[in-house]
Amino acid sequence: MIWQVPRELPRFANKYAHRNPLLLSAVGLVNAKLGLKSPKYSLLSHDGSVIKAEALDLASAPSETLTAGTSDTLKLSFTVIDDESTDDQGVQPHQAFLRFWQEGGVEGIQPVKVSSSGKAKFELNVRRPPPGIPATTHGAILNVDLILGSFTYVSSTVPLFKLRLPPSLPVAPHPEEVIYHPKPAIYHTFKSEQRTPPPTISLVFVVIALSPWVLLFSLLSKLPIHIAPSSATAPFIALLVAFEGLIVWYWVDLRLGQVLTYGAVLAVFTAAAGKRALASI
Amino acid sequence: MFIRALSILGLVLLPLQIAAISRTGSSVLILLEPQLNPDDFSLFFNGLKLTTHNVPSFSHVILFAPTTKTLPQDLSPQAIVSLLSANPPVNFLIALSPTATQLSTLAAEFSLTLPPPNTPLISHFPPREGPRTTIPITIPVRPPYLPKLPPVLSPNLPPILFSGVPHYLGDNPLLVEILRAPPESYASDTESDKGGDTLVDAVEKGGEGLWAGSELGVVTGFQARSGARVTWAGGVDVFSDAFAKAEVAPGQKYGNERFVKDVAAWTFQESLNLRVDYATHYLHGDQNKTQRDRYTVNDQLVFTIHLSAFHPETGEWTPPRIDDLQLEFTMLDPHIRTALFPTHGVPGEFSVSFRAPDRHGVFKFVVDYRRKGFTSLYHSSTVSIVPPRHDEYPRFLSAAWPYYAGAISTSLGFLVFSVIYLGGEVDRTIKGKSKGTKAQ
Repeated sequence: MIWQVPRELPRFANKYAHRNPLLLSAVGLVNAKLGLKSPKYSLLSHDGSVIKAEALDLASAPSETLTAGTSDTLKLSFTVIDDESTDDQGVQPHQAFLRFWQEGGVEGIQPVKVSSSGKAKFELNVRRPPPGIPATTHGAILNVDLILGSFTYVSSTVPLFKLRLPPSLPVAPHPEEVIYHPKPAIYHTFKSEQRTPPPTISLVFVVIALSPWVLLFSLLSKLPIHIAPSSATAPFIALLVAFEGLIVWYWVDLRLGQVLTYGAVLAVFTAAAGKRALASI
Repeated sequence: MFIRALSILGLVLLPLQIAAISRTGSSVLILLEPQLNPDDFSLFFNGLKLTTHNVPSFSHVILFAPTTKTLPQDLSPQAIVSLLSANPPVNFLIALSPTATQLSTLAAEFSLTLPPPNTPLISHFPPREGPRTTIPITIPVRPPYLPKLPPVLSPNLPPILFSGVPHYLGDNPLLVEILRAPPESYASDTESDKGGDTLVDAVEKGGEGLWAGSELGVVTGFQARSGARVTWAGGVDVFSDAFAKAEVAPGQKYGNERFVKDVAAWTFQESLNLRVDYATHYLHGDQNKTQRDRYTVNDQLVFTIHLSAFHPETGEWTPPRIDDLQLEFTMLDPHIRTALFPTHGVPGEFSVSFRAPDRHGVFKFVVDYRRKGFTSLYHSSTVSIVPPRHDEYPRFLSAAWPYYAGAISTSLGFLVFSVIYLGGEVDRTIKGKSKGTKAQ
């Protein structure tokens, strides 16, 4: 069901009138559109000298990017008119807002006072900016539009220029805001690995440690003895070798309890064999 | 007693069972003030309705009493706050209006700043016939270089017709923006062009301030720490049948019907609802993946967590689509914070392998995932990290080779001595003195 709304000026007799849905139609709007006459801006420095003063060319706006320094003042003046009337009569709209915005970023609205003859003046002193100017970071460019709204005329948005302001103080976020975003990664600094001397040095010292063997064997070879195998001593020697093997096995793999058990068993046999071996000498 | 108090105030009570299954329960209490006709909202309520049931306790409350000055005791602002912090919490969908009520002051507690009483949102754009307080809101396309907003609304919604009050959102991170006002809109109580001066005076020092622009929200959600969700809508008409059926262009309706469904789905914990299914940790390389209560310093640990998201249409828990999950390995302060990566082949599972710090102590694996619009996830499991035992230190070092050589030489030397002592015989080729005696 489509709700028809009469095309005369809207009235707010009933406080529930705002619940009537509307028929959006661009066809047949008889009211005239709001426009601007002689829009001018001037950028003044702190001592009042003019840095830049020009009339705005609305056909090519927003082409200019104005840069205001910390002590500069930007002045804007214009007259709001009815675009379709022939005598450019000034009009006082309901809404004459300057909108400072970045796409997807900050936005600030500053209303401009328009007199009943349609003349309006706006001044932005960067040292004491009006509350409608949003916070900006370094180098950020704000688009400046003028929103003209009226109950009787067709409203329009007029893009004016782009503005670069000095960076404002950063807006402190809520202290818990950081919890609701991924936090920076933390890496643990481990103690550096123990430095060991190079293996070559160890090999040198192994050679030094094993050098007495050379001496021993060379001296032994000079002795007039030979090894005679004997059945009495062979078991003992074998068990001694087994004992040495057990010690090496303990060094590599076994636990203390195990080695003591095996060692105890071997020790009994070794003691018996040793007694027999000594007796046979 | 509750029902009697409501009937005294003339409020209509509609307990309903909602159609889309909610995780927290499916009983909804709808409170309508007498000026509002339930038939005006039939599209919205039928979207929720399954069967009518008289249930004593409710999981969700829809409070469409925008012009009622005082609410009954059981739904006073204090009661609302205690219901939001209850266990399990009760979710609310609250509609406001330009009239100042108890709910307007309650909204301030949720970091929403409402304009002065009787200043509805008006917009002269788009140029249209009809009351300026009924505003078509086109959801702007968000540039891709900005962080994404929580996906409360379906993508590509047509313009939404709205009428009511705006509010400024505070910087509270628990707020979830759902719908913002159009940039040319502002709150005003004047109805002719002559009233424009009051707007400028409002911004002057000592003025009330100006509620204007797209920084204003018109429908905003709030996800409380208890898990409850409250949605504040600036007007009750956005839920009405008349607005849902109105046409933005011939043949194309406004997006109100789908919009209110999305808002209700979010508020009643159906969408953007996450939970932790299970989490384990084990030693890297452990085939059985046994979870231990103690690990050694410098061990390579693997932590795995399985998450699910509630799917509103099917009512099932499906793998979530999140990509910024983080794990903290904490002992008083996080020692390690790392991202959790999705496991290939197992949707919904995230895991990471990392090296335990070389400090020993009692650590916790903490996953604390909080994002705007989503339920908050928290999981922590405690483990001990112990120093190495006496036999877990490195062995067979290259620097110790000379010592090994020396010790082995000693053993072998004893063996050689035994062999020679027991088996050695003097050579008989020496002429003369010694005869068959053993060498000593």
